[in-house]
Amino acid sequence: MTSPNLSTTLHTQRVAVTAVGIVSPLGKNSVDTVAALKTGRDCVSRVVDFDVTKTKCSTAGQVPGAFLEEVAGESRATRRMHRASHMMMAATREAVASLHSSPGGAGFAPELAVIGTTSGGMSFGEEFFKACLQGARGTRRPAWLANYSPQKQVLDALDSAGLSAPCQIIANACASGTNAIGHAFQMVRSGKYRRVLCGGYDAISELVFAGFDSLQASTPEKIRPFDKDRTGLVLGEGAAILTLEAWDDAVARGANIVAEVTGYGISTDNHHLTQPHPSGIGPLQAMSRALASAGRQAADVDYINAHGTATIFNDSTEGVAITQLFGGRDVPVPVSSTKSMMGHSLGAAGAVEAVISILALQHRFLPPNINFREADPAWNFEVVKESRGAKVDCVISNSFGFGGTNATVVLEGAGAR
Amino acid sequence: MSIFIQGMGWVTPLGAGLDDVWAQLENGGRPEPKEFSVPYSPRKHAYFGIPPKITDALGRNPRVRRSSVITYYSVTAALAALENAGITMTPEIAERTAVVFAICSGGVVYTRKFYEMIVQQGANAASPLLFPETVYNAPASHLAALLGTTGMSYTLVGDGSIGLTALKFAEQLLETADIDRCVVAGGEELDWILCEAYRSWRLPAMLAEGGAAIVLGRQGRIKIGEIHEGISFSKRAGARAAIRKVHGDLAAKAGRADLVVSCANGTFIDAAEASAIAESSPGTPVDHPKQAFGEALGAGALLQTIHGALALEKRNLGKVLVSSLGFNQQAGGLVLGPG
Repeated sequence: MTSPNLSTTLHTQRVAVTAVGIVSPLGKNSVDTVAALKTGRDCVSRVVDFDVTKTKCSTAGQVPGAFLEEVAGESRATRRMHRASHMMMAATREAVASLHSSPGGAGFAPELAVIGTTSGGMSFGEEFFKACLQGARGTRRPAWLANYSPQKQVLDALDSAGLSAPCQIIANACASGTNAIGHAFQMVRSGKYRRVLCGGYDAISELVFAGFDSLQASTPEKIRPFDKDRTGLVLGEGAAILTLEAWDDAVARGANIVAEVTGYGISTDNHHLTQPHPSGIGPLQAMSRALASAGRQAADVDYINAHGTATIFNDSTEGVAITQLFGGRDVPVPVSSTKSMMGHSLGAAGAVEAVISILALQHRFLPPNINFREADPAWNFEVVKESRGAKVDCVISNSFGFGGTNATVVLEGAGAR
Repeated sequence: MSIFIQGMGWVTPLGAGLDDVWAQLENGGRPEPKEFSVPYSPRKHAYFGIPPKITDALGRNPRVRRSSVITYYSVTAALAALENAGITMTPEIAERTAVVFAICSGGVVYTRKFYEMIVQQGANAASPLLFPETVYNAPASHLAALLGTTGMSYTLVGDGSIGLTALKFAEQLLETADIDRCVVAGGEELDWILCEAYRSWRLPAMLAEGGAAIVLGRQGRIKIGEIHEGISFSKRAGARAAIRKVHGDLAAKAGRADLVVSCANGTFIDAAEASAIAESSPGTPVDHPKQAFGEALGAGALLQTIHGALALEKRNLGKVLVSSLGFNQQAGGLVLGPG
């Protein structure tokens, strides 16, 4: 195995997760999300925001527009924002409300915000282009431009929660959210920062939807991650936020520590812009480096929240890598892709799935991989078909993206160490 | 920990050689503007484009032959920066090298073409060859593949200040990760749709194409003494206070500079930055490289930094302040000194 990349000697601080917020097709907050996960709710439905009559796939996991309108409220300025801003605002507000409920949490002032996304306010760019096509007849709304760029959604969310911080917005395709959490973790663990807000977001757009369809990556059928007969992904959307604090600070103020981030691994697979190397070397390096960074062995992991997009290439690559790293255990490692319930939320996925992993740690259950029928015989791990209670102390969450970027975080229960 | 510039490369409207372009800048050289005609409209937009042939060599590489020109500009600059640093990539060196990319608009030409196909011919007609190149991290992926990097590759997206955010991010990696160097690259390509957007947004900058790259390490010939964390602002009215705070913080930490490399680009930014310079660096000479380079957004702040580094070396200065203010996100700055 090559260099772990992340220094194991520089770190000085444990890293506490002191609050989370989540908005996705599974629900508008953590409570709703746990309920959906425990019942294995299928939250994929026909796309409502644009025409899908010419694409092979016509479904996606969507955050209800009525909820986002509720988030926007009556303010004209807020209503003009992109729906991605509304998702980010809701997730950030949930995290901040959670902070406020613990001693000293109301004073949480992030020194840095690290957020992942892939497409910002893309649908406003689409509207602007369509207006240009109409020449002089087209009405161009300045709000489309002001709210198109990916940084706007992040600043809107911070503003709405009364926060301000320098922003680093990572756009590493579908690994963006995990990269954001991983970098934030590394900043706190190294002692450079004591409080960092991190997460990810993405909203469905016609361009990206058609893009995955053009690559024949999306499916008209049910999304079946890790199934022998899987046929592709469906897209999703959402936002998730985590607040990371130096462990000692969190303990000193009596924070409600919901989990601990203990490891992060990143790798780059240079095989192809949109396809992973079939050997699984990219995911294998990311997971191995994350475990090394956490000081954990494969045997310590109680659950893997897989990238599991249900494409032929991703799942075969990830399946091979998980089998190589975890296949020697006496008890097969439980694995699920929660994308089976809500679709692939791209830049949000890593953050959404990290929060789902934290909810699994807190509520001690395994989230399910719905629609699964039969495993590929080449793999040696358990695909969790139905949610069940379990001892869950150590979880890894995987994200892999276009450009060959791979990332894994290790999350542990607050009292696990 | 201090970080240092080991090598630099740029692809500008004036050309690509460090010394050649510097000589043109010192002689007041300006590129000839090019022009986009806007379809469905009689409007035209002037811009600074990249002279042909600069990136021809890269076009013969099979990995990038279908990529968007933003990859050509930024990767050409990155390869030049590595050559300038005297680094020949080997698998061992590549493994200990991180890639950090600064992106503002990304692959806008392919993005517009891809969506145009969807709108005019239907989503089923959109080309699968175009879509992957619309993703923000496509240029970083191409660069990592050409270098053989298997570890860290990050793409950061933001406004015109993103180059300095990328340098700050690279500094954080060098401080916390087991790597030897970072290649920080940025790029911008233009299309009529982007020019229309900035016009509609009432931002009358002379937009430009370009690429820039800086190799950072723990030793080198130019020291980056301080890189400001950045001050965010969500409304244009907050820009002035943000850039004043950045200048004030850097003056307090690093002292007075001998030169300010300005980000002035003909928009509201000019007055905001001028007030910061007047407050924190009164009487200090100011260079305005965007008069020659235009506003190259994703490459802009890195081009300024290279300009500052060359000024430091060629004018024998003691300290140079590079100032950056974006349109809708962040103000930043850094201070350069001899290594």
